[in-house]
Amino acid sequence: MSRRLYSALAWLVLALLAVYFLFPIYMAIVNSFKTEGEVYSSVLGLPATFRFDNYMEAFKKANMLHSGLNTIIVTVTGIVGIVVCSSLAGYKLSRTRGRLSNWIFMLFVASMLIPFQTIMVTLTKMARNLGLQGSPFGLGVVCAGLGVSMAIFLYHGFVKGIPRELDESASMDGCGEWKGFFLIIFPLLVPITFTIIVLNLLWLWNDFLLPVLLLNDYRKYTLVLTINMFFGKYSRDWALILASLILSSIPIVVIFAFFQRWVIQGITDGAVKG
Amino acid sequence: MTRRYKAAFSLLLFVLPALVLYLIFLIIPMLQGSYYSFTDWNGLNKTYDFVGIRNFVEALRDDRNFRTAIWFTAKYVFFAVVFQNVVALLLAMLIESRKRAKGLFRTIFFMPNMLSVIISTFMWVFVFSKVLPALSEHAAFKFLDLSWLGDPSVSFWSILLVSLWGGVGTLMLIYMSAIQGIPQHLKEAAIIDGATPFHMLRYITLPLIAHALTICIFLTLNSSFKVYDLIYALTGGGPGRGTQPITMNIFEEAFQGNNRYGYASAKAIILFLIIFVITMIQVTVMKKREVEA
Repeated sequence: MSRRLYSALAWLVLALLAVYFLFPIYMAIVNSFKTEGEVYSSVLGLPATFRFDNYMEAFKKANMLHSGLNTIIVTVTGIVGIVVCSSLAGYKLSRTRGRLSNWIFMLFVASMLIPFQTIMVTLTKMARNLGLQGSPFGLGVVCAGLGVSMAIFLYHGFVKGIPRELDESASMDGCGEWKGFFLIIFPLLVPITFTIIVLNLLWLWNDFLLPVLLLNDYRKYTLVLTINMFFGKYSRDWALILASLILSSIPIVVIFAFFQRWVIQGITDGAVKG
Repeated sequence: MTRRYKAAFSLLLFVLPALVLYLIFLIIPMLQGSYYSFTDWNGLNKTYDFVGIRNFVEALRDDRNFRTAIWFTAKYVFFAVVFQNVVALLLAMLIESRKRAKGLFRTIFFMPNMLSVIISTFMWVFVFSKVLPALSEHAAFKFLDLSWLGDPSVSFWSILLVSLWGGVGTLMLIYMSAIQGIPQHLKEAAIIDGATPFHMLRYITLPLIAHALTICIFLTLNSSFKVYDLIYALTGGGPGRGTQPITMNIFEEAFQGNNRYGYASAKAIILFLIIFVITMIQVTVMKKREVEA
């Protein structure tokens, strides 16, 4: 009897928690189709008709196309920078023994505890001095600098699982070290590279505080900043706000659906190897 | 000898691009920040004075807002770490014990991790300010009639509710993979010996996933001390400064009107030291217990 009771209890707890997790998203979606009046008269009910007017209006008023493009520039710049720099460094640090190599690796790993607030003031100044403030591309470059240590850590662990003989065979066949890396090693790093891309995609796409500090012109805003501004501007018009929240989340959810496998793999691998 | 130099040279070449970015955007700002924390620089002037440890003394002794923020953050960290880990572990065990719908539940509980904290918290603002008041008009949900975002003693729990919602996904995945790693014969032996679910948890599951506990508690400590986006979007630190975490206090000091760069840097260094000391103690203590188990 106790086993069946336990099983029923397990389903009940899971169901209750699932309601808690889905509730705000369900409420946001349902109300995003209502008119402004409907939101006030019946928040809990279904909309009388499913109309996409809020979505059209949010798309236009929040300038989604433009801020979406800015977000893509930030994300792509950041990810390309992180993948290229960290794969080179992570591979070589993993293959080289000795004090210098250990020391550099520790230098990278040590930074993971630094809170962003500890560096934000001086980082903003640094970005301004280098002419990187105020452009999505510049923001991407700064993000690459902040993101390399995590990626190096993941590459470092992954390279340990690739046999050294492959490096040696490459050099015997007369490949230079760099050519060997790009032709032979990098293709083998594809699984961990996918993981690193997705993890950084979630961070870069959704980041808030660093873009706030570096992008001070609304025409350069990323999606999250635009939504933040939009929220302040139309805070009474919930139907419109909710449509903008849903709309700006769609791209990342779609991308995520395709890459889910690598994210789950990456989070668990990264944690276990640490 | 030349071979060793050649190897070191080649190492440096491979590491150089990452190292340059890392030094420019992380190490140098960190060192500069540490330096400015001993000055009274306001962020604009060319000149500033060296004031020794006066900023640190002021922050810890005279700054009531900062002390309140530390106290608020400490409370938040304690509850967030406990709640997130308990719920994530519970979810992982429940989902792993199911035969069906594992993937569905995993997706549901991981979903908040995809969304931007700012964007998903705005959805919660809607829930707290419109949906729950409407629900509380029905007799059965009368208890929901609270000032969710307006009263600091209530909004503390609102913040925790949202942080739990957004925080358990990653932890749950780590716990799930740790539970999958427990050898099947140990579980079977325990069941044959008549172990209750509680005994299973205490003597089989927890000791064998100790490494995952260490990692997850480290991750939650680290992220809870740095909480900013969530509180910014939910309460803005208010009403008043009723829900202001350390990070927001630093931001206010550095940028919003006050412009005390040097002083804000000192506070930021204090935050770094708090996180550093606490996580180091946590990892050292828990690593030791792992070996014993």
